[in-house]
Amino acid sequence: MGTALTRSAGLTDVGLKREGNEDSLSVDESLNLYIVADGMGGHLAGEVASRTAVDLINKSYRKWKGSETPEEEIFGCPDTSLSRSGNYILSSILLANKVIYEMATEHKKYKGMGTTVAVLAVMPGLIISANAGDSPIYMIRNGRIEKISKDHNFVAEQVEMGLMTEEEAAESPMKHVLTKNLGSYEELNPDIFEIVPAKNDRFVLCSDGLTDLVTDDEILQMVEEVQDPEVLCRNFIDMALKRGGHDNTTVVTVSLSDTGKPKTGPMKKMGALLTDISTVMQKRSKKNRR
Amino acid sequence: MEKLVLTFNKQIIKKYSFDKDNLTIGRKPENDVQIDNLAVSGHHARIDRTGTEFMLTDLQSTNGTFVNHKQIVSHTLKHGDNIQIGKHVLLFLASEKKETGVGEPVKEPDLDKTMILDTAKQRELLAKQAKPGAPPPAAATSEKIGVLSALGGSDLGEIELTKKLTRIGKADTSEIRLSGIMMAATAATISKRPSGYTIAFTGGRTKLKVNGQVVQDSMPLKDFDTIEIGSHKFQFYQKEPK
Repeated sequence: MGTALTRSAGLTDVGLKREGNEDSLSVDESLNLYIVADGMGGHLAGEVASRTAVDLINKSYRKWKGSETPEEEIFGCPDTSLSRSGNYILSSILLANKVIYEMATEHKKYKGMGTTVAVLAVMPGLIISANAGDSPIYMIRNGRIEKISKDHNFVAEQVEMGLMTEEEAAESPMKHVLTKNLGSYEELNPDIFEIVPAKNDRFVLCSDGLTDLVTDDEILQMVEEVQDPEVLCRNFIDMALKRGGHDNTTVVTVSLSDTGKPKTGPMKKMGALLTDISTVMQKRSKKNRR
Repeated sequence: MEKLVLTFNKQIIKKYSFDKDNLTIGRKPENDVQIDNLAVSGHHARIDRTGTEFMLTDLQSTNGTFVNHKQIVSHTLKHGDNIQIGKHVLLFLASEKKETGVGEPVKEPDLDKTMILDTAKQRELLAKQAKPGAPPPAAATSEKIGVLSALGGSDLGEIELTKKLTRIGKADTSEIRLSGIMMAATAATISKRPSGYTIAFTGGRTKLKVNGQVVQDSMPLKDFDTIEIGSHKFQFYQKEPK
């Protein structure tokens, strides 16, 4: 099923200033599930947190989605504003948070570890974007770029409350201070969005190692210039390195090759039209009888 | 010499040196450290030199004085203590000579590195500081709910957009089911995105118009936009959640 839906690639780079790479990613075309996680915490703990998040989210989503598990049977309390698949994503993130939180509280070496997570799930007729932290997800459609994730950091919250302007936020030293992540609190309220896909939609998931150095407009331009997902990832990483590579940089790019909508052939359309006409006729005749 | 650094939102506003034996902090201009903010009492706190030490005392201020997130009445200051007064933070820096790490400059936090903000604590502090009538702290920014109000004698009435994604059309799976000879299975969708509600045309045979203009892909919705889907007409607005 998934093979024709998307073309994708993912790449991560330690950068030029950091010793280890605390980012993790998952590109799973069989599930059409894409994840970027940016871990934090010393002595490999950040890497453990991001890897655990990516693996657990993939595993739980695969399990639930594969068997179309009823919402009551998945982890946590289902959110009625979401589709069933949306709840699979939500629950998989909540479960990963719980596990990382417990690891961080029970093991001294993992104390204080945490991770951001950006998740994109593609299926016929539906795109789900979910995140906690400041690893963004972009959608490029009809020559426009739109962030379909929410940044959970101190300055973004200040901007939303009107206490800080966008310009002040860009300059603020507090822009890396997260207000949400996996691992720091028992409770987590990730943001989830559901969107209907359109033909030729393209998506970029990344860690802030990229967005600190490359603007949204530049991302748009780079996406428009290159069709091949792998080349595009390489271009993004090269750009981050060229501009100093101060942090780990991870990019996942996804192109929809098909919106995955069930095809409606001309005959089927004709059939639908005939049904319409016949129902209208029936209604009319009913009216006439009255 | 010992120093106090006044910061707001981690931005340094002013530095003060202890060139005398006591220093007063408050909103009124006669204070040594004047903080012009309503969350700060006229005479909020003071710091006194007691031999080699410095004693911080809260002057029964309305909103209290906090050191490293704990409310204090009096407190002997240590190097690196954060004194929170209202939304301002005063950083206490001991004389460099007395420092154990001789002459070592004060380490600034590596703000380039991702950190986690202890929001629960911060919000608790903010909540304590909130004055009656002041805007509520961060957590309370409630999200509005979109509503489609059917126009033109339709019996659909007011439809709340309670889902992240609302499909509109004839299909049984639609959140909003519409009838009509030319109605597509899914004619349009409204999704709640980070930027707000967005309506999208799904490419079927049913025309989508917003404020009389045909929509070919998608557009953000504003309060009181009129939406036409085939022969159905709605007005969009957002209301506060109950």
